[in-house]
Amino acid sequence: MAEAERGSRGGRALLLAAAAPILLFLLLPSLIIVPMALTRGQLLQFPPEWVSVRPFLDYVGDGNWTASTLLSLQVALLATLVGAVCGTAAAVGLHGRRFTGRGLLIGLIMSPIVVPVVVLALGQYLVFARLQLLGSPLSIGLAHGLLATPYVFISVQTSLAANLDPALIRSARSLGARFPSVLRHVYWPAVRPGLGAGALLGFAVSFDEVVIALFLQGPQGVTLPVRMFTAIQFELTPKIAAAASVFIALAVLGLVVQALGRRGEVQP
Amino acid sequence: MAATPHRLPLLWLLLPAGLLYGGLALYPLAGMLQMSLTEGWGHYAEVTQGRLLWRAATNTVAISLTTTAIALLLGYVLAAGLWRCGPATRALLLAFIMLPFWTAVLVKNFAWAALLQDNGVVNGLLQWAGLTTAPVTLLHNRLAVIIGMVHYVLPYAVFPIYTAMRGIDLRVERAARSLGAGTLALFWTVLLPLTMPGVLSAGLLAFIVSAGFYVTPVVLGSPSDMMVSNLVSYYVHELVDFNAAAALAMLILAAITPVIVLQQFASRGQHGGG
Amino acid sequence: MTVSGRSVEVRGLHKNYGPHLAVRDVSFHLQPGEFLTLLGPSGSGKTTTLMMVAGFEAPDRGEILVAGQDVAGLPPERRNFGVVFQGYALFPHMSVLENVAFPLRMRGLPGAEQRRRAGEMLEKVGLSAFAGRQPRQLSGGQQQRVALARALVFEPDALLLDEPLGALDRKLRESLQQEIKAIQRRVGISILFVTHDQDEAMGMSDRIAVMAEGRLVQLGSPAEVYLHPRTPFVAGFLGETNFLTGSFCGVADGLAVLRFADGSLGRARLPDGVAVPEQGGKALLSVRPERLRLLPDGPVAGVVESCTFLGRHARYVVQALGQSLALSTTEWSPGAALPAGAAVRLGWAAEDAQLLDG
Repeated sequence: MAEAERGSRGGRALLLAAAAPILLFLLLPSLIIVPMALTRGQLLQFPPEWVSVRPFLDYVGDGNWTASTLLSLQVALLATLVGAVCGTAAAVGLHGRRFTGRGLLIGLIMSPIVVPVVVLALGQYLVFARLQLLGSPLSIGLAHGLLATPYVFISVQTSLAANLDPALIRSARSLGARFPSVLRHVYWPAVRPGLGAGALLGFAVSFDEVVIALFLQGPQGVTLPVRMFTAIQFELTPKIAAAASVFIALAVLGLVVQALGRRGEVQP
Repeated sequence: MAATPHRLPLLWLLLPAGLLYGGLALYPLAGMLQMSLTEGWGHYAEVTQGRLLWRAATNTVAISLTTTAIALLLGYVLAAGLWRCGPATRALLLAFIMLPFWTAVLVKNFAWAALLQDNGVVNGLLQWAGLTTAPVTLLHNRLAVIIGMVHYVLPYAVFPIYTAMRGIDLRVERAARSLGAGTLALFWTVLLPLTMPGVLSAGLLAFIVSAGFYVTPVVLGSPSDMMVSNLVSYYVHELVDFNAAAALAMLILAAITPVIVLQQFASRGQHGGG
Repeated sequence: MTVSGRSVEVRGLHKNYGPHLAVRDVSFHLQPGEFLTLLGPSGSGKTTTLMMVAGFEAPDRGEILVAGQDVAGLPPERRNFGVVFQGYALFPHMSVLENVAFPLRMRGLPGAEQRRRAGEMLEKVGLSAFAGRQPRQLSGGQQQRVALARALVFEPDALLLDEPLGALDRKLRESLQQEIKAIQRRVGISILFVTHDQDEAMGMSDRIAVMAEGRLVQLGSPAEVYLHPRTPFVAGFLGETNFLTGSFCGVADGLAVLRFADGSLGRARLPDGVAVPEQGGKALLSVRPERLRLLPDGPVAGVVESCTFLGRHARYVVQALGQSLALSTTEWSPGAALPAGAAVRLGWAAEDAQLLDG
């Protein structure tokens, strides 16, 4: 039975009519960022007075802003790497295994998503301050790695559940395959799609993160979101909109990759 | 022999995550706990006796509950739209719902600030329509905070509800119709009760996410909209009182943990039932 | 409780799914109190037809009349049919009693009245003790009976059952078949039943409508469709049969006469409505294995290929007319079995063979 048969055509139209304003509400902020970045005047307004690329030039030409952008990229790459290693290893380790406390363990791995981030941020600030590591890409990247891990974990776990039958591992082992070989030939193909999606999400989480980066910042270590956060409180300028466009581009990229990934799952 | 090579990898595979969580979550938490207790319960007393905590806590609960209620209502409509429409429309709707999910919170808040400011889009439209002559103050108040937070939380609310809806057997729905249920009766007696586990899970998740907000109250709200996360920052950056900040962080964690546990059970029950 | 069943008439029903014709020109008339089965393989359009009668699918063309009233424009909730779905479709969030009371609640009956009538209905299907249980706490057979009770409690115009026994094991199926028949006799309701299982159809129905590729290919009593199939599909779908091809010689004494490839002659019934082939044209007939007999003076010569004893009967495979024919007989004893390679002659009574369309 086709799913589309649910409900009457009229009911469906009514529902979509009700959903339309909510969708507009969801899209509106994303839609106005890029046009606002093209404003000529200093004061941000919509519709922009003149189309101009000056805000982008302002953004690219400001050494502080480009340094922050580079730092954010470094941090996000490190966080993605840390999250990918920790999340994937944990997902592979727990796949197809049943033991008491498994649910609790998964709950712990997922906890950075739900625990108030300010609690983590303060704790990490106190640790890194003692180590004199504030404002370094290492400390912020590791801290963000903690946030990225649950996203990689859940994504790889889903991918393993969909693509890897635990019986396959047993049969590979019964045929004499050693663990590294099982890892490479049995796990890796099943892990790969989930790892890609999870790593991308982990990158976005780190690149977008404000609170931890704010607590762990140093004079030379201000990430792009933190710089924007500080700037927004001061004044709304087209330069901020130009920087924000970078984030919108990342979001669209993430969406596209996710959509392509989903298509890949349907037609393997 | 066969069991030995199986056991060993589990520990090795959990080791990286164990080190990361141990070093950057458990150890810092233990450190904060210790710092908060250096004078017995003194730091806790200091934090709880001030009027600031009371203000921030009521703000947090009021703003989070309002956000959750609105997000559930809007999320239910979106989930129902996703559920009922054809595959092509669904892909489009999913993209629309996921775009904000992928967008940085700061960018979203910045856009809302630009939309709601005195010479922003919304005021421009109001004046153009002749509804007002002078700009209406829409920014730096409670309403702006709630708009920004609902926008952030909405995708979190949609998916648990959508999952619950997809679990409903088409034949159950048809059975209800054949037994005499019209559209409204079908909704109230069958669809709504069967989606309640999803609504519960979505509501708890939306509340948890809302209660941890830090950026939005600063960007879109006024100082009087301060939430508990902002209060931690106030103790650290303004008062430079780390012991009190640690005590406050512990209190926040203690308050939210039961809700997190409840949410875990709610979302697991949802999967088990469907 | 007696429900006086109503008639349901379907005229010229058509339904397309895109370019694909799901149901083509289906017509039948379910009489008051009758048990009519739509029988066919999956994809034959039987469930789609039932769903159109129930109101879940809109026909592109055709009429659906209940006691003479056109219901095609009514939504499912206003058609007053009791529908039982495959998998039962009980409400998982309601108790057994609440499930059965649901249609009464939808009809605005007072709460006490709802509980009284639902309770009575549960008693009828022997589930009074389970009124407070949740559906998932019941066995498949019990859930099935709850579904039946729920579909009957509001005294519907007819029961529509869509493969209701599909998920159950064989033993349970048989006992529930009997139970459904017994309930039908007691309340006198009209039943439209959909199944792909020919034994189920034969055992329960007053009449069977055989469907294939969206069409209703034959409608008649179980005996009629089994003994007098019209098309090769009906002959093959209901039980096992032998197809014999020959050239048509003509009609003698109301019987069709065929000449087979080896020159022998065979006779067969010529059912009403079957297109009579032209003289010398190709003709097809069907003889059931239990109607094909070993006769010393039979017209067709053959050689035994194998013999299998199956308890109630023995089954021979005989090579004859260039093909393998199946023959079953109860006249068999261990000593008298014909060995493989034995030469035999085959024949049949003219009224046991059918000339087929096509």
